Amino acid sequence: MNASRRKILKALGATAIASPFISFPALAQSRSLKIGILAPKGGIAGTVGECGLRGTLWAVEKINAAGGIAGRKVELVVEEETNPKDSIERFRKLVLQDRVECVQGVVSSGVSLSLGPAAEEMRALTMFWDGTTQDGVKETMPNPRYVFKSTDNECEAVMGSLLAIKYWKGKFATVAGINPDYSYGRNNWAAFLALLKRFGIEARVVAEQWPKVGTLDLTSHVAALKAAKPDLVFSSLLFADLPVFMKTAYGAGLVDGTKFVFPAAGWQHTQLKKDFTPEGMIFGHNTLYFDLPNASPLQREFVQHYYDRYKDYPHWEADRAIFAMQVYKAGVEKAAKAKGGAWPSTEDIINATEGVQVESLGGKGSMRKDHIAEQTFYQGITTHKNRYDFPTLGTVDAMYSEQIQKPAGADFWTWIKSAQFKI
Amino acid sequence: MRSHLLVLLLLAVLALLPQVAGQYHLTLMIPFFAYGIALLGFNLLFGYTGLLSFGHALFVGIGAYAAAAITSKLGLRSFELILVASAVGAFLVAIPVGLLSVRYTKIFFGMLTLAFGMLFHSFLFKFYDITGGDGGMRVLRPSLLGMDLSTLDKTAFLTGPFYYYCLVLLGFAGLAMWRMVNSPFGLHLKAIRENPRKAEYLGVRVRLYRLFAFLISAMYCAMGGAILAVSTGLADPELAYWTHSGNLVFMVVLGGFANFLGPIVGAFSFIFLQDQLMSLTQYWRFFLGATLALIVILFPRGLMGLLQDLGGRFRAAEAPAPQRISHELGTERVNP
Repeated sequence: MNASRRKILKALGATAIASPFISFPALAQSRSLKIGILAPKGGIAGTVGECGLRGTLWAVEKINAAGGIAGRKVELVVEEETNPKDSIERFRKLVLQDRVECVQGVVSSGVSLSLGPAAEEMRALTMFWDGTTQDGVKETMPNPRYVFKSTDNECEAVMGSLLAIKYWKGKFATVAGINPDYSYGRNNWAAFLALLKRFGIEARVVAEQWPKVGTLDLTSHVAALKAAKPDLVFSSLLFADLPVFMKTAYGAGLVDGTKFVFPAAGWQHTQLKKDFTPEGMIFGHNTLYFDLPNASPLQREFVQHYYDRYKDYPHWEADRAIFAMQVYKAGVEKAAKAKGGAWPSTEDIINATEGVQVESLGGKGSMRKDHIAEQTFYQGITTHKNRYDFPTLGTVDAMYSEQIQKPAGADFWTWIKSAQFKI
Repeated sequence: MRSHLLVLLLLAVLALLPQVAGQYHLTLMIPFFAYGIALLGFNLLFGYTGLLSFGHALFVGIGAYAAAAITSKLGLRSFELILVASAVGAFLVAIPVGLLSVRYTKIFFGMLTLAFGMLFHSFLFKFYDITGGDGGMRVLRPSLLGMDLSTLDKTAFLTGPFYYYCLVLLGFAGLAMWRMVNSPFGLHLKAIRENPRKAEYLGVRVRLYRLFAFLISAMYCAMGGAILAVSTGLADPELAYWTHSGNLVFMVVLGGFANFLGPIVGAFSFIFLQDQLMSLTQYWRFFLGATLALIVILFPRGLMGLLQDLGGRFRAAEAPAPQRISHELGTERVNP
């Protein structure tokens, strides 16, 4: 009898480890747990927000089917992320009127930069999907209490640059950049150049193009790149302008013989069709590569669900959304367990969330003590040898964010000069 | 007399609102006060002088960035200082912009103000070291009348002392504007709007008075921008973008530019309409656009015009036939 009980307990434990959506068996709670979601639904980031929202819905479906978070069923209240001013008003609505217990979401760093202090001042537990509180690469909120942030913005640029060095060192002498004209694009380009210097690559910059975010006529920018004849083009375009750029570049013959590094192209992966997107580019999928050969059962299940329901393949925003929900769930249940099953206070949840580890779609992830996420990133070289109408990765490289993200409190540019990179 | 009583009643309702309204709706009243003040100025130019600007978000941006520079860069926290600096900053920028713009009217004036607005937006966006670029600049919580209120949480600050401060400010801004539009200066502006050639013939210095209206409207917008920035805690380039200028026009048209209170009613309606629509549907922009189209087609005098028409009909139905005519004429005369 005892042996049998032990077996059952062992099996339950194994199931709990295997599925992050199985609930901690807290006392049954009758009240639903309201969680606010703030995500873009329109404009250049509309499809990005939609993908994140779909990830959240899937996670909540699974969580609720397994009993909720610490015994409470999750109820979502969704509001739209727009500009900083209006987004803060929607945030206030979620907290003050809808009385949500946690707000998750936010894609734009411009919004999160302003929302971070607002959330701190309102003492509202907030978890960003993709937002940081960096002014450029400088952290403006080094010790937040209520705000948990995503990985740093420049992680993908560091990884893309390292892969360019790994695969193509000695194979290019001139470089050009076409990056969106805001702090993200400028910092990514600067990080790429700094890493080339760090690895002793004397590449000459022959062109720098700064299209406005979301600009859909890139003819002049492509013409300028074509005229400069670079060996390598580094681009952190990531919105709907990226497929337009590729089509224009293909039409202009820029892709012939030119190497490309797209550290953040994953948001547009299904829009970059084989017809105009060549093989052999460095392509960043950030924290979720949907076609990962050794993907976890959780990722396989989600990708299949996503395809069945939406006839599309998810990108990293879905992973960020699911990761945020998992981190919150893990924090709440850890705090509830410490209180013997009683519902924990916000302060207890925050304390429990610091340092928590979860298994997200893209692999292991954790929340640092300084409230910055750590996750696994995927990039690689594109191939056309697949069953899709868009390129996938022929060679996949994975890096955990501690390899490509500055440590807590460090200055990014100093860290770039001194970090021990493994390529 | 009746309108004075109505305004006093509205102010009393606004003063009592924190006792009955929820915190969230009270936080929405701060942008209402901000836009109310900004649009009083905007309508001096549009409704009273006949010049439609598509670039006045520029001055809202100046107010917001003045608040950011004073609190974040200079470390000063006085909100009175912020208001003065916003108004002075807007005044100084408005002199060259206004001098160039008021030489033109109609679409040319609109396009020129739009161009200056976009120039300023580009400056905010591109000069990272000065303005913070796309990330903007933090606006720290100011002191009010020398009182340090940093111990309050943000919601308590906004729905308590800052609410009343802004209400009083709106009251004074409205009173000052009322005096202006009913003074000889206001008559000059109305004359310019109706027929600039005739006004000039009568000795009105048309360009100078247009410039005055431009300068005053800029200062009002900047003060509104300072309030908005304190509420959000950030000055960002979006505040100076042309779409924000479009919102200012929308609010005035919604409320009715032919009525003194129209812009304030427009600000209130726009904020709460957008709030409701954003909660109801992701297609809220479509419905906002449709609302504007309907207002322009069906009620070109805006919500205040509609209210006046309804009021006129009600009074006409109540009154005996001979008096009906005089009331209708009276309604016509109310419009500036």
